Amino acid sequence: MAEQGIPNIQKCIAVLWPSFLVAIVATGLFFSAFDPDDLYPFGNETGISRLGAYSIGFLAFWLVSAVSGVGTLYFAVTNCMRQKR
Amino acid sequence: MATPAAARKTDEQVEQSLYARAEKIYPREVHGLYARLRVLGVLGLLGIYYIMPWLQWDGHQALLFDLPARKFHIFFITLWPQDFIYLAALLIIAGLTLFFVTALWGRIWCGYACPQTVWTEAFLWIERKIEGSRLQQQKLDAQPMNVRKFRIKATKQFLWLALAAWTGFTFVGYFTPVIELGQRLLAFELGPWETFWVVFYGFATYGNAGFMREQVCKYMCPYARFQSAMFDKDTLIVSYIPTRGEPRGARKRSVDPKEKGLGDCIDCTLCVQVCPTGIDIRNGLQYECIACSACIDACDDVMDKMGYDRGLIKYTTEDEMHGGKTHVIRARIIVYATILLGIMAIFAWSLFSRTPLGLDVIRDRNQLYRETNEGLIENVYILKVLNMDDVAHTFELKVSGIEGARLHMDMPEIRVDSGAVLELPVSLRVEEGALEARSTGIEFELAAKGDPALAVTEEARFLGPM
Repeated sequence: MAEQGIPNIQKCIAVLWPSFLVAIVATGLFFSAFDPDDLYPFGNETGISRLGAYSIGFLAFWLVSAVSGVGTLYFAVTNCMRQKR
Repeated sequence: MATPAAARKTDEQVEQSLYARAEKIYPREVHGLYARLRVLGVLGLLGIYYIMPWLQWDGHQALLFDLPARKFHIFFITLWPQDFIYLAALLIIAGLTLFFVTALWGRIWCGYACPQTVWTEAFLWIERKIEGSRLQQQKLDAQPMNVRKFRIKATKQFLWLALAAWTGFTFVGYFTPVIELGQRLLAFELGPWETFWVVFYGFATYGNAGFMREQVCKYMCPYARFQSAMFDKDTLIVSYIPTRGEPRGARKRSVDPKEKGLGDCIDCTLCVQVCPTGIDIRNGLQYECIACSACIDACDDVMDKMGYDRGLIKYTTEDEMHGGKTHVIRARIIVYATILLGIMAIFAWSLFSRTPLGLDVIRDRNQLYRETNEGLIENVYILKVLNMDDVAHTFELKVSGIEGARLHMDMPEIRVDSGAVLELPVSLRVEEGALEARSTGIEFELAAKGDPALAVTEEARFLGPM
């Protein structure tokens, strides 16, 4: 099967690495438009610093784009398997 | 990545590496012109990287992308989030420069300046200092674990981790003032996110330069994939000259190769042993080749020893290899250079002519206009004043467009600190007779006292009953 031909570590990198790059760009764009301190409508009671908000934002962007990457990988691999059958 | 399992498998000579079942590459140390150039590049770039955050300029860190304070200091320039466009433009310029350099000199970036190469060289240098030469490293890895091997491996890992940790710390020092960061580190008071990023970047350095090495170039680097699009027949490449080298074969120094029907290649395989990506340059141009020219140095050395001419492996171009001449000035180069210079000129002009002052006029949406007790027509606006200069300023506000318009505001003066935004409600009153239409264009003009160059005007509308 085609799926078995790709080592898991390679799949991980194929998903995590491009989404990492995308997350950097997305974080830069997002936080240059929005100051995290302005994003709390009722005052910042969470005690999260700006650096913390940037970091959480970055990790969230990374997660979102990684999920999309998993989808792409899944469809690419399963389509490939179907064609080989 | 750097799992213990991977480290164990390294001992078995053949390791299941990340992408391919490949032998661990032990690049042999080289000496020569290009090796010296690379060391120069590595030392220069690492020096800049590690020293830069500690430089001061005009009372602040010379290069500081101060994320907590939302402003970037680049020597004498201070950029605010509104100036994001400049950073984007800077990235585009960097990208185009890479295109231009690639078209002209091939993968010179990969071989001498890429962080992956630079840190890999640093980690390789530590490895050689601790474990010895290529042969000694291979022998050590073939041994079963013993006290001596453990001691050597532990020392290397310790030094690698120390360099990686320092690298991570320096990285965070570009984004938060490094001196305070250092003080907090020494007092064990680093914030959780600062700690996270030091460890994250340190780990990335350790993994990339210590273990992944050439596999990053081969399998993960986007530039390695598309750089061939910038190549043409006149791009500088590292190449073996098969017409001169073949047929290859071993021979004694005293033997005349022509008599034996041999080319100049003595098949010593030194070019393969020094290659950091583990390829044989004699098989032709390969995408794995990062043009580090280690093979050139190695081969030139052998040619000297054999008494042959240097340059069996050399920097050349496709045109030159086929007996032609290299055309430095060509359409591709002119196009890249024109675009690059154009964008750089626009960038420099807009950066140096930019006014570090922002004014936004927002009309009060609750009512179009109001009639005051004195029978005047009043419009209310909220002005947002953004002072992007490095010092506080007091501003003077004027309005033009309607005869006899009077400006009222609650504040005695408009004083805005450096980097601050002031919300300033103002009301504008005019006599009804001065209005000629329902909506009249007006202009707010804001100028710093004592610095008439620091001024902006912003258009707005004045609404009346007509």
